Amino acid sequence: MKFIHFADAHLDSPFLGLSFLPSESFKQIQNAPMQSLTKIVDLALKEKVDLVLIAGDTFDSFKPTPSAQIFFAHEIERLVNAQIQVIMIFGNHDHMAKEDLLVAESPYFKLLGNGEKVETVSYKTKNGFEYDVTGFSYLANHINEDMAAQFPAKSNRYTFGIMHAQERAGTSAQNVYAPFSLSELQNLNYNYFALGHIHLRQVLSETPLIVYPGNIQGRHINETGPKGCYLGTIDEQTKQTKIHFVQTSSITWSKKEIELTKPMTKTELDNMVINCLSAISTTYFCLQIKGADFLNEKEKELVQDSDFWQMISRKLTHDSQLVDVRFINGNNLEIAFNDQKYFKQAEKEVFSSDQFAQISKSWALKSDYTDTLAQDPEFAQEVKQLAEVKLNSKLKGVNGEIN
Amino acid sequence: MKLIRIQIVNFGQFSNFTFDLSNSNIDVFYGANEAGKSTVVAFIKQILFGFHLANHSSDFFEDYKPLAQVSPMGGSLFFENENGQHYQLERLYAHGKGSKTGTLTVKCDNQVVPESVFFDQIKNIDGNFYTDSFIFNQDMLAKVDQIKQKDLLERIYYLGASNSDSLITLRDDFAKSADALFKKTGRKPLINQLLLEVKAEESKVSNSENEFSVYQELNDNFKKQKVLQHQEEQKELELQKEYDKLEKIQKLVPSYEKLQDLQNQVKTINFDSEQFQSAQTLTMQAESLHKKQQKIIAKLNEYSDDPEENTAVSKLIQKKPEILQWQSEYRNCLQKDEQIKDEQNQLIALDPNLNKIVGMEQEEIIKLQEDYQKLPQKELKIGQSKNGNSKQYLLFGGVIFVVGLILLFIARAFGFLAVGMGLALVVFGSYQQKQTQKAVKIATEQNEKIRQQRQTFEKRYGIKPIKLDINNLINEWRQYQVLIQNLKRNDQRKTELIGLVKPIAVQLGHELKQTVNTFADILNGLDQLTKKINLERLRREKQTSLENSLAENKDELAENETKLKMILAKAQVNSLAEYEQIQKQKLKQDEIQNQIDALKTNLQNDLIELKSYAKNKTENQTELANLRSKISAVHENINHLQGKAAEIKVKMENLANSTAVFVEKQKLANLKARLKNLSVEYLADLFTAKWISRALDLASNERFPKMLVTTKEYLRLLTDNRYNNIEIDKKITVTRFDGKKIEVQYLSRGTSEQLYFALKLAFIQQIRDEINLPILIDDSFVNFDDQRVDEIEKLLQAIARDNQVLIFTAQTSLVDKLRIQPLTFKRGTKNV
Repeated sequence: MKFIHFADAHLDSPFLGLSFLPSESFKQIQNAPMQSLTKIVDLALKEKVDLVLIAGDTFDSFKPTPSAQIFFAHEIERLVNAQIQVIMIFGNHDHMAKEDLLVAESPYFKLLGNGEKVETVSYKTKNGFEYDVTGFSYLANHINEDMAAQFPAKSNRYTFGIMHAQERAGTSAQNVYAPFSLSELQNLNYNYFALGHIHLRQVLSETPLIVYPGNIQGRHINETGPKGCYLGTIDEQTKQTKIHFVQTSSITWSKKEIELTKPMTKTELDNMVINCLSAISTTYFCLQIKGADFLNEKEKELVQDSDFWQMISRKLTHDSQLVDVRFINGNNLEIAFNDQKYFKQAEKEVFSSDQFAQISKSWALKSDYTDTLAQDPEFAQEVKQLAEVKLNSKLKGVNGEIN
Repeated sequence: MKLIRIQIVNFGQFSNFTFDLSNSNIDVFYGANEAGKSTVVAFIKQILFGFHLANHSSDFFEDYKPLAQVSPMGGSLFFENENGQHYQLERLYAHGKGSKTGTLTVKCDNQVVPESVFFDQIKNIDGNFYTDSFIFNQDMLAKVDQIKQKDLLERIYYLGASNSDSLITLRDDFAKSADALFKKTGRKPLINQLLLEVKAEESKVSNSENEFSVYQELNDNFKKQKVLQHQEEQKELELQKEYDKLEKIQKLVPSYEKLQDLQNQVKTINFDSEQFQSAQTLTMQAESLHKKQQKIIAKLNEYSDDPEENTAVSKLIQKKPEILQWQSEYRNCLQKDEQIKDEQNQLIALDPNLNKIVGMEQEEIIKLQEDYQKLPQKELKIGQSKNGNSKQYLLFGGVIFVVGLILLFIARAFGFLAVGMGLALVVFGSYQQKQTQKAVKIATEQNEKIRQQRQTFEKRYGIKPIKLDINNLINEWRQYQVLIQNLKRNDQRKTELIGLVKPIAVQLGHELKQTVNTFADILNGLDQLTKKINLERLRREKQTSLENSLAENKDELAENETKLKMILAKAQVNSLAEYEQIQKQKLKQDEIQNQIDALKTNLQNDLIELKSYAKNKTENQTELANLRSKISAVHENINHLQGKAAEIKVKMENLANSTAVFVEKQKLANLKARLKNLSVEYLADLFTAKWISRALDLASNERFPKMLVTTKEYLRLLTDNRYNNIEIDKKITVTRFDGKKIEVQYLSRGTSEQLYFALKLAFIQQIRDEINLPILIDDSFVNFDDQRVDEIEKLLQAIARDNQVLIFTAQTSLVDKLRIQPLTFKRGTKNV
């Protein structure tokens, strides 16, 4: 038996920080999630899989646009026409009712666990291999309960679990996506647990298999690397399952770093950047410049300008784009030796997560979005990096005045 | 750093004015209001840190007088440090010359030294630092509630990290730019603006997301419309069926009426079409027979003069084989003539001697023979002939031998035989040859003797006796004679044949009316005659056959007529024309019947309904009209529904193709991206400020808590334990003896001034190891009651152990309390 597992298609989702892109490139990235989904369906047809598992967040919103719905319905129709069983659950983004789907009724399409009820279905492949699938769909955007606890014991058939959920961690405020513990899932001992929600592809457990396939198309610079789906093959005798990842995303996000060790001309810098941003397929790059203190203010301004990115992008292969430049402070702070320890200590304290939350509190409280950002360690890291760069470049000025 | 002398050149109302300060650590300047106390305070500050020319607004106490009216302006301060070094700071400003802060000259023990030698000892603080930390006056006391932790900390930090002033500036810059980007409350900063925009856009997005529910609604609506439409279509179909049925019936009415009409026309007619056909055929046959008869008669007329067959001619023709025989015979005769003549010529050609004797008679020939025989014979001739024979034998033998050899291979027996024969003949031949050669020799010897006899013979007969074979010649002559006889007989036969043919030629010439001479003419003529006779015979045969046909024809006609009459009689008509009339009627009836049949077939299912329809024709027509209008109403409704469905479909398609949601979402995403970027910028600024602050805090970690302890101590001292704790946070709070915490703005004027003293003096105390400068207290105890004056006095005494204190006052009670000889400002002195 063969199956495909994917999640977090986020059809119709916008893209952050790309508004400067020329409309053609923007269209390309806008269509990328749909293209990725089409490729997954192509793969399913080509591989003649028996089952496709869709582990939530197919749509970016619980009120998906008609066009996204129509597109999705069309892709499902292709699978259904090929008599491929499709089992889908809703996630925290597309927490809707089954009736809201435009997908046509078919014995080959099953929306599992409508209305947040854990449901088990049994099917048989064309070869007569029997399997169960257990899972549930979101109806609201948060589920605080441990849903895995409601999953039934495994039958003697091959058993899939499917769940849009996040591992329990940290404060209770964060555990709102059907929090589970890994041991809990392992104890269920289902043959394959198809997870969704986390956009980073990862195999939580090898035996039994508990898998996040990641999303199908990276949407911003924190979703780097190839994206796609898992293609699974089950030995029907031993029920051994092998999975391998298939990339279907047309655009890959990638972070690259260059380090400046001396002041350089603009041409030298251009060449250094272009050499660093080599691509084998369409790639959207975030460039981190270490040693940015070797750039003067004008140069800093230039390299952070989208016109500069576009100029670089025109010289990149495979329609790749430079979409972000960040500075990282490479050196120690330019401060009197005796004071270094104070600054280091201060940095540690100020950027500790508690202090970070404390200091950014009045800003974070302003909106859900800023609150989410405040809780994102990547964001804090970004702030810290910029603070370092800012401070150091100013300290240079300070020392310049005095020395 | 202890101030020991104040020497004013020109400053405010003072000119050439000098104060020498006592050795004790507290000095009191006593003077009435406007005596110049504050001027001295300003002088000290400005000599240290630069003049403040009042062309722009300035802090309180420096603001009161134009300072640059006399020139040069300024004076000197004399200090003594802990090491006993003496410093003189002279600052002068001549109108229009140099810096407006004045020109500072620093002397250490009367030696001019760089400024920094002095200022390094006071940590290079600026005038503001000095003012804020070391000067007390009414205005500043009033601002105690404005003292902020930050301000205090800044001064403290100053003694921590190096470049702390720049770092503080940096920190302030960062804080400022952070503040410019975002404020907790407010609308103007960019992030605040963006936050509002994001909020607005979020509601737009959620509004636009209604697209989906609108779409669903439309979809449901569309389905409903389709069901309705289907129902209406069914209805229309039913009505149309009914209508069609009725309309069909209606359309059939004319046919039905015609059917009835036709049925009325139906008559029975006796008509046997077979008989009629026979009659027609017979009539046609009669006609054709008549025509044939006429043709035969016409042809027979052509043969009217019928000549008899000519028997003479027939006989003549019968002679043709005979004539052919004669002709051939005649030809043979002619050929024989030729042949004989050829033979004659040949004979003569073979032997020219023959020609000389051709005309001789039998007797002459005999004479010739005798003459010749008398001539001597020649051996030569025989030998030659024998030689010839032997050669023949050789040749023949050779041939047979060769043939025999060949045969040997084919047929052995014959081969041997032939080879034997061949060999025998060759042997014989060669023998013969040898014999001959012997004879020739003998003959040659006799030749001369006989030559004369021969010449005589030649003269008589003209024949050379040499080489003459007389027997042969005679034989030839005989042959020739036979040929002459044959020629004669042939001529005779020819004449006979011509005689036989002649009468026939004459008769033929008469018949053909042309001359007939040769056999060819005769045969040709006979052929002509034969043709002629054959033609005539053919004509006669035809004539006979025509006559026979005519007779047959007449018989047939008669029979035909009889038959026709019988048929007509049977059909009870007199003529075919009449019969044809009946047939026409019959055909018409048949047609009517056919039409009836056709109509009946067409109408067969509807006949019953047609009958009833025909009965209620008008009613039914009304019904039809009703149905028509019903149908058109339903149809209109369907059109309407279709229009509606199409409208919904268009709306749905528009929604399906709509990018509105995406556009709004993207707008939101873009706004968020901007918000994020700005937030990173803002937070980076904010955190950098905090970071610097914290670093400074850490760098001067010892001082702040210590200062707090000292402040508490001083406050307790000043308030006599009525207030025993102080908290310095964003706001300053004190704790009363009863435990109540009171914010500074709610304290009484006196208490708040006490607090102010406590704080500032604690600070001075805290930094005294680094910066030790005179504390200038300018008329600061006006709000203090006696008790408080006592208390402050105690404190000042304590402070004065470490710092020099200069008190400027108009309060005599205070002067008394301090028990110090005051320095006074004397009006009207020459120096003023």
